[in-house]
Formats: sequence, C-alpha cells, structure tokens
Amino acid sequence: MINFLLRRLFLLGTVLFGLSLLAFSLGYLFPGDPLQNFSGIRQLEPQLRAELTAAYRLDHSYLSQYLAFLNRLWHGDWGLSLASQQPLLSEIRQVLPATIELTSYALLVSFLFGVPLGILAAIKPEGYLGKIINTITVAGYSLPVFWWALLLIMVFSVGLGWFPSGGRLGVLYEIPTVSGFMLVDIFLAETPYQQAIFLDALRHLALPTVVLATFPTTVMIRFVRDAMLEVWEQNYIKTAKAKGLSRLQVLYRHGLRNALLPVIRQIGLQFSALITLAMLTEVIFSWPGIGRWLLDSIYQRNFPAIQAGLMIISVLVITVNMLTEILHTFFNPLARKR
Amino acid sequence: MRKFRLYFEEQHRSPLAQLWREFARQHSALFGLALFSSFLLLSLVAPFITPHDPYLQADNLLLLPPSWSEQGLVQYPFGTDDLGRDLLSRLLKGTTFTFGLALVTVIGALLAGLALGALAGMSQGMKSSFFNHLLDLILTIPSLLLAIIIVAVLGPGLANTAWAVSLALLPQFVHGIRNAINEQLKKDYVTAYRLDGANNWQVLTRLIIPNIWEKIIVMSSMALSTAILDIAALGFLSLGAQAPIPEWGAMISDSLDLIYLAPASVAIPGLLIFAAVLSVNLVGDGLKTAMQRRRES
Amino acid sequence: MIKYCLSAAMLALGLAGCSAEQQDLRADGLVYCAEGAPEHFNPQRVTSGTTIDIISQQLYDRLLDIDAASGELRPALAKGWQSSADGLVYEFDLRHDVQWHQTDYFQPSRVLNAEDVVFTFNRIMDPEHPFHFIGGGIYPYFQSVDWASLVKQVSAPEPYRVRFELSRPDSSFLSNLATDFAAILSAEYAAQLLAANAPQLLDSQPIGSGPFIFREYQKDVLVRFYQHPHYWRGPAAMQQLVFDIVPNNARRMAKLLTHECDVIAYPRLAELALVTERPDVKVQESTSMNVGFWAFNTQRPPFNQVKVRQALALAINQRAILQAVYFNQATAARSVLPPTSWAFNQQLATPEYNPQAAKALLAEAGLASGFNMTIWAMPVQRLYNPNALKMAELIQADLAQIGVNATIVSYEWNTFRRKLTEGEHDSVLIGWAADNADPDNFFRPLLSCAALESGSNRAQWCDPVFDRILNQALLTDDQLQRRSFYLAAQQYLQTEMPLVALAHSQRIQAINSQIEGVTINPYGGIALFSARRVQP
Repeated sequence: MINFLLRRLFLLGTVLFGLSLLAFSLGYLFPGDPLQNFSGIRQLEPQLRAELTAAYRLDHSYLSQYLAFLNRLWHGDWGLSLASQQPLLSEIRQVLPATIELTSYALLVSFLFGVPLGILAAIKPEGYLGKIINTITVAGYSLPVFWWALLLIMVFSVGLGWFPSGGRLGVLYEIPTVSGFMLVDIFLAETPYQQAIFLDALRHLALPTVVLATFPTTVMIRFVRDAMLEVWEQNYIKTAKAKGLSRLQVLYRHGLRNALLPVIRQIGLQFSALITLAMLTEVIFSWPGIGRWLLDSIYQRNFPAIQAGLMIISVLVITVNMLTEILHTFFNPLARKR
Repeated sequence: MRKFRLYFEEQHRSPLAQLWREFARQHSALFGLALFSSFLLLSLVAPFITPHDPYLQADNLLLLPPSWSEQGLVQYPFGTDDLGRDLLSRLLKGTTFTFGLALVTVIGALLAGLALGALAGMSQGMKSSFFNHLLDLILTIPSLLLAIIIVAVLGPGLANTAWAVSLALLPQFVHGIRNAINEQLKKDYVTAYRLDGANNWQVLTRLIIPNIWEKIIVMSSMALSTAILDIAALGFLSLGAQAPIPEWGAMISDSLDLIYLAPASVAIPGLLIFAAVLSVNLVGDGLKTAMQRRRES
Repeated sequence: MIKYCLSAAMLALGLAGCSAEQQDLRADGLVYCAEGAPEHFNPQRVTSGTTIDIISQQLYDRLLDIDAASGELRPALAKGWQSSADGLVYEFDLRHDVQWHQTDYFQPSRVLNAEDVVFTFNRIMDPEHPFHFIGGGIYPYFQSVDWASLVKQVSAPEPYRVRFELSRPDSSFLSNLATDFAAILSAEYAAQLLAANAPQLLDSQPIGSGPFIFREYQKDVLVRFYQHPHYWRGPAAMQQLVFDIVPNNARRMAKLLTHECDVIAYPRLAELALVTERPDVKVQESTSMNVGFWAFNTQRPPFNQVKVRQALALAINQRAILQAVYFNQATAARSVLPPTSWAFNQQLATPEYNPQAAKALLAEAGLASGFNMTIWAMPVQRLYNPNALKMAELIQADLAQIGVNATIVSYEWNTFRRKLTEGEHDSVLIGWAADNADPDNFFRPLLSCAALESGSNRAQWCDPVFDRILNQALLTDDQLQRRSFYLAAQQYLQTEMPLVALAHSQRIQAINSQIEGVTINPYGGIALFSARRVQP
C-alpha cells in the first residue's frame, strides 16, 4: 500500500509539474502583453512595469521566469483579475464552493438513482424493464446538456412555475458567506426565516441538479449493469447459488459488493466530464460557480483568470481522480499490483 | 440451387460478415445506422438541396411561424428567423457545420492519434513512460475546457473550433490506440511473426492494425459524439461558429432571445443535435455489442 | 422519468416552504433585474447607462432634478438658486435636513452641507485633489462638457450656500448639474477614508444621501440596498432593493415570468405583445431622448475618407433595421438629435438606401473592389439598440452587396467599452441616451474633440469647424439663436457622416402588475424611490 501511495504521489507531482508548465506557457501564448497576462494589472505605469519585470524575472531566461512563477503560485500570489482587479485566488475561493456543492449533489443523485436502476437492468437484461432502462440511458447520454437545461426551464419554471429559473437563492434573502456552501451557510445564519430560506435554496438546486445528474446517472446505470452482469458470471456466484442461497441473498452478499467496487473508481473517471457539464449548467442557470466564472473570463478576455481557472479545475479533477483511485485500491487489494 | 449437404459443415463467414450479422440483429443499432447515414448524406449534399439561400434575409417575412401553424407558409416548412432567413435551409446547411465538421475533426484526430499512438505503443522504456504521464495530464483536463483554452488562445471562430476540438480529442485516441497496441504486442502470434524476421513496421501494418481497427471504430464513435456535443456547445457559448453561420449550437443561442415567440427555432436545432449524437451512440453501442457477441459465439 | 419523481419530491418541499414569513420578506423587497453589472458606485466616473440606472437615483441626490414630465429643472438638494446678470456666477441654497447614510463602515456626524458640494466638484476639477486620480482621473461626462475650463471655482460662502464661478456663460450649466452624473458625495466620509489610507473605497463602498443605503455587491451577481430610514423626502416604500444582474435577455424575461424579478430592464421588443397578454405583467412605456447609431473610426483608413463614410451610410437599409431590430417601436433617425428636440433640423436631407450610389462613391474613393472591415456590436441590449448583434448581421448582409466584407466583433460589455475607448474598432454599433434636455448633450459628448479625449467619442472624430459651432451655441441663452447653430451642426454632420444615426426608441420596462410607482426619467436612470407593492 505504501509503495502504491508513493507511486501515485510521484505521478501527482509529475502531472502538477506539467500543468504548471502549461499554465506558465499560456502567459506567452495568450494574445497581449505577457507581463499583463501574468500580473493581471490593467494599468502598467513604466515604474510598476520595471518593478514587476524584475520581480517576475521576465528579463531572465524562461527557466528563471518559470521558477519565479512557481514561487508566486506557492505563495498564493496568483495575480489579479483583469476585469475586477481583485486577487484571483480570493475570487476563486468565492466561486469554487458553489461548483463543488452542485457537482456533489449531482453525483449523489446519480449514485442514488444509477445504482438501483443498474441492478434492475441487470436482473433481466433482455426483458422489458432492461430494455426501457437501456433506451433511457442511451438517450440520456446523447442529450446536449444546454438544450436539456433550456427545455426543463421552459417547462418547469416558465411554464409551470414550479422552480426558479436560475441562481442559488432568492435574491431577497441575505445569507452571509461563511463556508461558501449554501446549505451550510443557511444553517449557520441567524435568521428567523431559516426554514423558508432552506427550502428556497432546495428549490433553486432542483433543476440544475437534475440537469447535471443526467449524464452521470446514465453512465452509472450502464456501468453498474455491466459490472453486475460480469460478476454474475463469476464462479463464486455460481458457488453461492449452488449453496442454495436465494437470488436476493446472492445479489446482496456477493454480487453487489463486488460489482460496486469499480463504481467508486468510476466516480473519479467521470468527474472530468462532470466538470465540463457543470460549466454549461452553471452558465444556463446563472449558478455563480467556477465554470460560469471561467466562461465570463473568456468573454472578458481575462487571461490571468483563464490561466488560474485552468489550473484550479485541473487540480480539482486530478485530486478527485487520485482520491477515488486510492479509495478503490484500499478496498480492493488486487488493484495494488498494477 | 440448393446444395445437398450430407455432412455437418462449419460455417466460415468472414469476421466482418459475422459482425454485420450480430449488428443487424439489433433494431436500435440499425435505426441508428439509418439515422447516421442520412446525417452523413445531408452533410454532403446540404449546400445543393436547401430550398432557399440560408443567408438570404427576406425582410418582408420576419419570424414566420412553422407551416403547421395557421400563419405559416408551405414554402417555409419551419418558418423563418427574426432576420427572415429560412429555418429549414439553415438547419440543412447546419448539418455540414455541426455533423460534417465533427466528422472531419474526428478523422483528423484519429489519423494523428494513430501515428502518435503507434509511435508510443511500439517504443518502450523511459520515452514511453514520459509519454504516458504527459497523456495522463492532458486526459485529466476536460475536453471542453481544453477546447475553450485553445479557443482563448486562437480566438473564436469555426475553423479554430475545429482545431480545438481535434486537439482536445487527440489524447483519448493516442491513449486508446497505444493501449490497444500494447495489448496486441503481448500476443503470441506477434512474437511468432517477429521470429520470422518481421520488423516493427510489418508487425504494425500486417498484424496489429487489422486486429485493432474495430476497436478504433468504436473509439471513433465515442469521439464523434463528443465532437458534435463540443462543437455545438462552443457554438452555443458564442466561442465557436460566429454569425451568420448556421451551426446548430450557435443557432440555439441566436434564437434564445426568441424562445417565447418562436420556440421551434430553439427546439429544432437542439433536437437535431440530440438525434445526431444519438445516432452515433446507437451505432457505437451496436458495434460494441456485436463485437462482444461475436467473441462469445 | 426518474428525474421527474425527484422534481415532484422537491416540489412538495417547495410548496410547503411558501409560508407566511417568506411572503413578508418578499412583500417588503423589490428585485430589479438589470442587464449588466455596475462598473463601480460613483456616478461622476460613469458613462454607461447600466451603472447609472443602478446607482444614481438610488444612492445619491443632486443639487437639482429634472422633472420627468416637463423636462424642466426643479429643486432637489438646493432649495433655490440665483445667477448673476452676466451668467458667470451661480449660487445655491442647500437644504438643512439632508442625512447621510449610516452604515457599519461610516457613521456620519453631520448633515449634508456646502463642504460636501465643494468636495464633490473639486474632485472632478482639481488635479491636485487627493481623490482626483482615484480610479484613473477620468470623469467622462464632465470632461466631455469641458467642465474644467468652464468652472473656475466652487466655494462655500456660508455653511449651506454654494457658489459656482464660471469662466464664460454657459446655457447648459444648470442642466449639467441636474444630470445623474452630478451626484453629491460626502466630504466627511472621504476624509475618514483618507485617514485610513484607503481612498479607493470611496467608489466601491459608497455613502450617499439617497433613498437607499448600499449593503453589498457580489460581483456580476447582485447589488443589495436597504432603505435609508432618514431620507429627507421620507423613507422609501421598500425595505430592501436588490439589483439582480442578468445579462441574458431571454433569462431576464424568464425571471419576470417566474416572478423572480419585479422589474426588468429592456424587455425584448419582439416579446412585448406576448407579455402584455399576461395579467401578471404590465409594460410601461415612456419617451426617452436617445439615438442608436453606427459610428466609423474616422482615424483609420479607409474611414478617414468622407466618401467612404457616405457610401456606407447609403449602403444600409434603415427600414429593414427598424423592422427587424426595433420591431417598429422606434422612429427612424434623420439626425443625431431626436425629432422631439427643439433644435431638430426639419430640412435635413437624409441618405436613402441606395447600393448603386454607394458603389459609385466607393469607386470614386478608389475602393471599387471593396475592403474588409469590422463591425463591433454591443453584447448587451441598450435603450437605443435592443439587439446590436442582429443589427450587425443585417448590416453585414447589406455591406456584402457593395463588396465590403464585414466581420462582427463582440466582447463582454465592460471589456467592449474599454477596447472601444482604446480605438481598436473600425466601426461600432452603439448609441447615446440623453442626460439632460439640452441639445448640446447630444453633440458634445459624442463628437467633440473633448469627448475624443474622455473616450466617449466613438467615431474618434475631432473637427475644429464642428467644435466651433458647438461652442458658439453655448454662448447665448437665446433659444432661436442657439437653434440656428444646432441646425448648422446637423447639416455639417450630414455631409461629414462620422456616424450614421439609425433610430430613436421608446424606453420600455416590463413590470410585475403588483408593483407601482416606478418612475423613469427621460433624461437618465430609473428611480425606485416610490416603487411599492400593491396586492391586486
């Protein structure tokens, strides 16, 4: 296990190194002045320019510049946003929790619905139920997410008026930001309307969560179904059946646990796709998360922010990926050999 | 004339024919194939069959409703947009941009991926492990994010979108092809062929490629559905196709302002994207199932 | 399928949540959905109508106000005013009962007095002033009317009396004081910030004397104000006022229909008919002095040639634009000035759509084979132009007819204006909404040399002849005399064609039927002081 962890750690280091190299080179690849791309300061007076050039070592070799860049990253100096002239790191700190909140609920939903449906589909893959579930999943992962979101908004919020069309909370409710996670913050806030606000937040969450959960749910269903079918063929299941255990008992004691193991790994692998979808979902539902922030930065030609957003999202994806892999390995010693 | 068969004869269908038989057994896959072929055909002939010029602004026919509503005109089956352009013609033309372009980007990425994947697969040691890590890095970045970054560097536009999507798809191909080749290299018949004196090139072209092409097609089908979705998403975000190009995603974002007045102008392009991706996925799924069943039979 | 079950479950929760207390909070609050984010919170430094709408009438007061109905000046912070016979000295008597906002970052110790007025205007005029260069030292409106050379001195002869000394008579001076830009800031707050060594907070954590108090700004998400309980006109009807920032037109409309917004800025003209059928929404229309235009960057070839500009003006189909973009809810513009202005030139010959003549003119200019150009189109809907991108597409098609290949360029709104000020465009679709009733307000901020410096001159046009006409028009108070100068100015513009005026539109708001008392000033931002919710 230690050996495995060390190997992963080394890989993480390599990947982070490559990532920082990519982010650094973007400073030069983006149109405009590299100094402005790195610092994000809009008005660079000659004196400031000279100071920054020295501090960023832009008059030295690329290697030296890169080291200075790493040093800044390490010390939390990620530059300013070109648009707002605020430190990027503090802006990211404000938007990142919203994204994490939304994606975790979506993952939770996809887990809650995907696993049972996948099992259902595996019981009789050629039966009606299996076929119906199959059709839904194929349709589900062919849906263009932005169109699907528009459809739901048109029907459920504009048409029926059941849900709000966007945002995290009714704007008249003022909830101080403590953790950045809306439901937690509402819980912490001292307000007489707490219950009403909490329900309002849930209503705001409903549509984006459904939209974002659509794709991972379908993937989960198919994955669980395939895993179940595979496990079902294993010898130990046959043995269990031969021992006279009922179908349900076999399913619960032997099948499920072995089939669900790869599902943990699957969460990590799907996370990258989930973040992509979250970006689009956030744009459509005006969800103040990092995806919307990043896309706004692109419309604003806010290059320092794009650079920082790339790094943060990639690190997030890599971390989740690693964590699930480690978890998976922890539960499944066989995987350590690889 | 039917031949009288006395002895039981093992059937010797070619693998391709077996594959087709298994494929054709699945109704959904056949349906997907039909849909796919029609999109393919449309994307080729679209410029010649549009009933009107998709860019022509008829300023006396603004926001004409579809022909099934009372105020519609038969000449404009889906109506016109708010600049008086025929929606049907634009949608047809859009097939070339969304579906056709996606196909081109996938083929481009596939060819490059084949070259790089072969290079990586056939080489071993330090080079290979470095390459592996580099791929791991790029694979962690979501493809749409990668495409967005590339567009941010190159600037928005349809051609840049194609480059971006192509580049974003490349790592998957390299990774997949490299793994497939590695798997093949371990097979005994490769060793045998090598012992016969075959060099790397011969092993690759005569043994490996013929054995992995089906996998490549499945891979391509997955890439194609990603490509369509990404091109449409970039168009929707106004980072891809720019006005007045009738790319489906861009058409949705163009018509978004009219969603209450002319819901069809948002619904139909979306439906087409959905159908296009669905057709690709159905074909891909069908192929996968067919390959699996062939192996089992 | 599965999702719907979930939705239903959530719905059950949601309906249960509509308890009485929630209703209360909604009843006392107003949500205005704005089309863009404010740049900052100081009206002096603003040109964009978006920012003005959000901050001016809500947070601040001015010495004078403009009567929305008649367009005449009426007292506000100043109870009254006198001017000297030569028109060079103006004196204002201030109210004694104007309370500043009280917040957790500022506790006022006194009411508004002349010191505050002097501070406000010295910041603009005096380069030595400690606050002058906060935010870059750019005061676009005041620079465009050449304020620094017009006003010699602002002083406080008595605690509640302010004196303005001018270097020349200016018939538009009082109107300028009544614009949304001339908001009065607190000198005491500024001194406190200066002592704390944080002067830049003056423009981001505002203190005013207006009906609402600043609470928070979540960037690009919302701006929150609370009622100012000691407002000198009496407290506002609403306890809370929130500006929800929704740049997308369709989403703004959706929020109105789902009652997430009470008032939305700039509903799509196309949807007005649809919206008016609904019982829960009403549409408020008011005349507005504005113009949407297409400006050429006259410093870039080939747009530095008059013939090219004239050719392009002839090449576009104005009638089609009015129909497709304004849905015929606007008057075709014949001049920069709207026909309702007293200085409008009735005799003006307007260019008629004529691609052949345009081609001929291009050939004369030596560009018979056409050229490439960019059309910059605003990303947001504005009063004077509901959909610049659509308009750009129409113009693009028109230009293709005469062999000009146009590309459409658009950025996010604040970036767009920044790049525009830097003059990176070939041509731009933008417009102007008047800040006061004076015709000078249409010419000077748009096309004078001073405006070129301050950045609001989108045509990058500086013509001494034109500037002289404008200056002469200000030297007299006699309307007939002034009119003749403005007629000449319009005639001159018609031949020089630095910009093509396209349309003058109505200002339209879509409002929830429960809301009353939203007032729109034809010369400026929206006022939500007396907005209230009435149960139907």
